[in-house]
Amino acid sequence: MPDRNLSSDPLVRSNRLAARYPAASVPAISSITFAVEAGQRVALLGPNGGGKSTLFRVLTGELAPSSGELEISVARPALVPQSEQSRLDYPVSALDVALMGSVSRLPWWRRPSRADRVLARESLRRVGLESEANTSFGELSGGQRQRVLVARALVQDSPLLLLDEPFAGIDLPSAALLAELFNELASEGRGLLMATHDVEQARSWDLVLCCNRVQIAFGDPATVLTREVIERTYGASLVALPGDRSLAITPPHHHDHFEADR
Amino acid sequence: MINWLLEPLREPIVARSLIELALLGLISGTLGCWIVLAGRAYSAESLAHSMLPGLVGAALLGLPLVLGGAIGLAVGASLIALVGRIKVLGSEVAVSVVITSLVGAGVLLGLAPTTPAGLSGILFGDLLAVGAGDIALAGGFAVIVLAVLFVLHEGLLVAGFDRLNATALGRSPAPLDLALALLLAGATLVAVQALGNLLVVAILVGPAASARLLSARIGPMMLAAVGVAWAASLVGLYASYHAELAAGAAVTCALVVAFLAALLARSLREAVASDSRRRGRGAQSRGLRLRSRRA
Amino acid sequence: MFESFALPFFQRGIVEILLLASVSGLLGVWIVLRGLAFYAHAVGTAAVPGLVLADGLGFSALLGAFGAALVMAAIVALLLRRRSLGSDSATSLVLAGALALGVILASDVFGSQGSVDRLLFGSLLAIGTPELLLAAAAALAAVAATTIFGPRWLAAGFADRRGSSDPLLIGLIALAAVAALAAVGALLATAILVVPAATTRLITNRLPLWQLTTAALAAAEGVVGMTLAYQLNVPPGAAIAVLAGIVFALVAVAGVIHQRRRKLAPLALTMLGLSGFLVVGCASDGGGAGSSPKLTVTATTTQVGDLVREVGGDAVSVNQILTPNSEAHDYEPRPRDIGAVADSKIVFTSGLGLDAWSAKLLKESGSKAEVVDLSSELPVSHPTGAGQRQSDQEQGADDPVAGQGPASGEIDPHWWHDLLNLEAATTVVETALILADPAAKDQISANAEAYRAEIRAVDEEIRACLEKVPAQKRLIVTDHDAVIYFTERYGVTSVGAVFPATSTQGQASAGEVAALEKLIREKQVEAIFPESSLNRALAERIASDTGASSEYTLYGDTLGAASSAEGTVLGAEAANAKAIVAGITGGKQRCLIET
Repeated sequence: MPDRNLSSDPLVRSNRLAARYPAASVPAISSITFAVEAGQRVALLGPNGGGKSTLFRVLTGELAPSSGELEISVARPALVPQSEQSRLDYPVSALDVALMGSVSRLPWWRRPSRADRVLARESLRRVGLESEANTSFGELSGGQRQRVLVARALVQDSPLLLLDEPFAGIDLPSAALLAELFNELASEGRGLLMATHDVEQARSWDLVLCCNRVQIAFGDPATVLTREVIERTYGASLVALPGDRSLAITPPHHHDHFEADR
Repeated sequence: MINWLLEPLREPIVARSLIELALLGLISGTLGCWIVLAGRAYSAESLAHSMLPGLVGAALLGLPLVLGGAIGLAVGASLIALVGRIKVLGSEVAVSVVITSLVGAGVLLGLAPTTPAGLSGILFGDLLAVGAGDIALAGGFAVIVLAVLFVLHEGLLVAGFDRLNATALGRSPAPLDLALALLLAGATLVAVQALGNLLVVAILVGPAASARLLSARIGPMMLAAVGVAWAASLVGLYASYHAELAAGAAVTCALVVAFLAALLARSLREAVASDSRRRGRGAQSRGLRLRSRRA
Repeated sequence: MFESFALPFFQRGIVEILLLASVSGLLGVWIVLRGLAFYAHAVGTAAVPGLVLADGLGFSALLGAFGAALVMAAIVALLLRRRSLGSDSATSLVLAGALALGVILASDVFGSQGSVDRLLFGSLLAIGTPELLLAAAAALAAVAATTIFGPRWLAAGFADRRGSSDPLLIGLIALAAVAALAAVGALLATAILVVPAATTRLITNRLPLWQLTTAALAAAEGVVGMTLAYQLNVPPGAAIAVLAGIVFALVAVAGVIHQRRRKLAPLALTMLGLSGFLVVGCASDGGGAGSSPKLTVTATTTQVGDLVREVGGDAVSVNQILTPNSEAHDYEPRPRDIGAVADSKIVFTSGLGLDAWSAKLLKESGSKAEVVDLSSELPVSHPTGAGQRQSDQEQGADDPVAGQGPASGEIDPHWWHDLLNLEAATTVVETALILADPAAKDQISANAEAYRAEIRAVDEEIRACLEKVPAQKRLIVTDHDAVIYFTERYGVTSVGAVFPATSTQGQASAGEVAALEKLIREKQVEAIFPESSLNRALAERIASDTGASSEYTLYGDTLGAASSAEGTVLGAEAANAKAIVAGITGGKQRCLIET
């Protein structure tokens, strides 16, 4: 473990943070008090609709906090979204997508430079997709697409990475590669905040933030992830599997079909 | 044969139409790609109709017609953007609601006894009536379109590829949408009077939609679109000259035929690809890729 | 305001709109949910080539429209099976192809297109029994399909917004769009198929309720719109579209205001009710026209109106249907015209197919008025396209597209451009008016006599004026051949016409225009004469290419504005003569004609 206690300034710190969407009457998240320091891997546990994406939106600056404090020392955190939010029919290659990361560092009138292209290729190499640089994004497998989006975040070169369920529905080799890469990134001194449903995986990370519209707990997974906390986090959608500590989570379906938002 | 090819070009009326179409081809090859990718063909098809109330209003107030048309387009485009923000409806319904209301208003205004006749004729502009002024305007606008699209290229790509998360990359979709809508309105204003709405829609959407079927990258897609636009313009004008077909309609038909040809080419290619996959041919080149993709 | 409900055509309109409202309720929600709004617009508009074909081959327009829409639906359904293809791109290209085909058919195959323009906006009077049957069929089909397939659509509909395209739904929307054609027109079919469902979507998201409120709203907007159309004398499509747009805007604004307080539904409903009330209020203040003791007659066109006013003078009150800014060939009668005809003792028509729409007016009004066709006793008549053919023969060219024009043997309907015909028509009007009002005989005879004298004087002046120009120099090119009677009478040769057809749907071909330019240079034609009511850009372009002038305008189909000198037939003919003389002499020679 790198010595991260020396870094006194966290990348992001919040105190009783709450955020509300413009049309909504109640906040989507509230009482969020946590911090991510350089080199830390923080898992964000919560059910669908529990506010994980909302927290990411607040951190990327898309949604203003409605109350509480938020200190963020990173100009623009790199977001790795769920890959199904991207269009598969778009005429872009893996390299094009990785290169998109560079625009976050550029003013709106500037185009990416040759150096950015080199960085994009290098990032694809790090996610093991150097050979697929010229393959269309839509022709890649789900796991490969997720890795391309991670490469895009690498091109952004931000000290803070926000990972939105990066392991959801991807193949085992991709998952292993990403897990390794995330550890690498943390040891480089980057902070990682990863939304996930996987309680077991969260146990292996440095810190865990449990959140179901309000913050349930934040701290060392070994002490925080009690059965009671997990039950409060996931509500009724928790199934105890036969065995010692395994808990399965059935992600609830969206009921409001009409809000099929694009 | 040579004469058959050169004869039409010696006619000033054909030469001018060809130059205008070539410039419009540049615009459609670039702007059209973004319109097709963003799914705005309905806007492209209908926006011109929002000129109607503006034209009638300008005629009644004694203002220049172009000004009225421009105001109508601006109002139409902004209303579409505004109604498009209502998420439960979506952009197509927004276009439908706005354009329907504006066309209705235009028709009502047009019935005023003081309205001059033939105002809607502007929507049916004639390709062969293109003059030096139209060409200069199209040339100037082509330069603007190319410059704006060059600068905004990455932003448009980011916002189109992953709209939900574009803001996180520092490119919020709303201003890019607006830029695209304004360019579309500008193209409509510049081109409708010279070409007529029918041909403007066909040339804005046709080449880009064809190119999308043929190319997997945005750059080649734009080049292919310009090529399709130019080829179809040439074929359409030759047909109009030698077979004496209505000029604008002939070019439109050529563009639609190009699209169908591209569709056929794509289907054949896919059929061949799936066929060879089934037979296990090309295992060395394809099999490797397929395996990793299926992972 | 309820007197309109007693009129049979209005009752048909209401029944039609109620049938369409039920279709709107059942299908509109699917159009909104599945992102099929563009298709719903396109499939109605794509009926145009079907209409041209129906007109050209002489079968029912409804059949033509339906056939074209079905073909469009089939192609779109086929294309939508390919997911990677943007449905909007495919739809717009199929639409563009269909319309281009329509233009080519109209310009190059049939050389005319009768009833296309007027089906763009709909008409109360266009609703007959076949249209009602079609709307009823659409409603039945919508009910049946919703009952049987509704649950399936529901399951598939929300999963993905685009793409999932049930061919049955695609076909049903085509049927609905064609059914809506008669009432609201191709360009505004969305006013009833899309806008009501979009409006109610802002209030509810539960399917049966959404469908019910949509049907109710569409019915309310339709009935109020129809009433407004009758009261304000406007096409129902336009009235319904504007009304639907206003209601949508009010509901949307109410929604935005109350979004945060979550009181959207009641407020929006209040707004809805309010706007409906407002509109009904507006509709009710239409004034009734006072009846006059004078003999009341109807004239269809501007020329006929002028002639009847000249002969009738103070003794007759003339309702003129066309205004100078409306198109004579495919005018669509409006509700108030029916009232005018119903009040008239005589209806004067121009005849020869120019105002064929007047027959429908007479039928709908149930009027017992005597119909006087002024073209019935013409001393001079020319076949259509005479000028064009003459020049072709002279040139000895083998025209590859000869016969594309209107069928020969038909008489050109612009007979008043020969003043001999006008004189004869004056007598026909005189006789008819005296028969209807014998008490005013002296006055009418005196008016007619004076007018005939004036016609002869103007005729002499025009002839004298034109004869100052050598006969071989009297060459002109017109927009379209509307002034054959004039050119033939005064020895002017029409070398050619710019447009192959007389309407906005017609387009020239590059080959024809190039040939015309060659001809103009060869024969040294000095002037091209655009017509006052048409788009003049192409005429001006040809003029600047060939060095001819295009600054003088002819009055072909219609007269000038009512208060101007060209607002009378004689004024317009004098203006035509002046324009031709000034044009072919390069402005060197001018003539003064007193009218």
